[in-house]
Amino acid sequence: MTVVETILVYVVAPLAVVAVLALLTLVPGRRKKPRWKPGQAWEHEPVWYEPHPAAGGGHGPTAAHGPAGVPGDGTTALGSSMYPEQHGERNTGQPGAPTAPHGAGVADGGHGARGSHAISAAALTAARPLGGARGTW
Amino acid sequence: MTRVLEGTSHDTATSAGTMATRADEAEAPDTIFSYRELLRIDEALTMSSRETGLRFTLYIGDLGPQTRARAEELFERSGHSGHDLPESVLIAVSPGQRVVEVVTGAAAARRLPDRACALAVLSMTNAFASGDLVGGIVNGLRQLSDQAGHPRGLRTH
Repeated sequence: MTVVETILVYVVAPLAVVAVLALLTLVPGRRKKPRWKPGQAWEHEPVWYEPHPAAGGGHGPTAAHGPAGVPGDGTTALGSSMYPEQHGERNTGQPGAPTAPHGAGVADGGHGARGSHAISAAALTAARPLGGARGTW
Repeated sequence: MTRVLEGTSHDTATSAGTMATRADEAEAPDTIFSYRELLRIDEALTMSSRETGLRFTLYIGDLGPQTRARAEELFERSGHSGHDLPESVLIAVSPGQRVVEVVTGAAAARRLPDRACALAVLSMTNAFASGDLVGGIVNGLRQLSDQAGHPRGLRTH
């Protein structure tokens, strides 16, 4: 074995293997945004998540009765959380229903807070007493 | 299905000339979680709500100095139109303050006693402490819905 061969086998080949492994490990692991860690400040807007409204009992797209309904369209999209809620969506497909203002989740806003007053005091007292639990970490 | 809370009205562009008509579109909700994580949250919320007949909602954001009072106030706003408020369950997570609050309505509290909520909160805080927000939420929802069980007469399929 010449000197060149020795160097190729014992130095270059291991280095190449290490480099390939390092690339495979580092490249897909790059996250675009840093993950939140406990102790960091949380500077996102408050956000609500709601369940999808119950389907009408069958499979496939159902009549628009929930937030996924697009005005002028009679169906809801499956997996509709991908679509942001539009204004007045709640009212589609329910011409006779009272227009429940669904700014209910919009807190502290001048306009949005009006939804909270739509819930009657009777409904609030029916929900009491509230239970639950609290935890810190 | 996600709604971003904001302090200002979001349908006018009064002050600045060409502002976006909806402020929540510029700051899309998916800046917090990836789509995969959103999907997990969405499925957990939807399936636990369908299986139990309760209405689980999730709030992630600041809860102010009085976290319990703020969570209960949010709970009272969370109903569709108020009629399903007793059967609602709110999970309010404030990662900045490291607080999680679970609020149950009166009817929900019969099926989800405070003890069960505390157990779910314990498992949630375990996951949160290691930085796994989504995993903790999904597991907590699973525990809560397992505890609540199926109501009689509810057909899920």
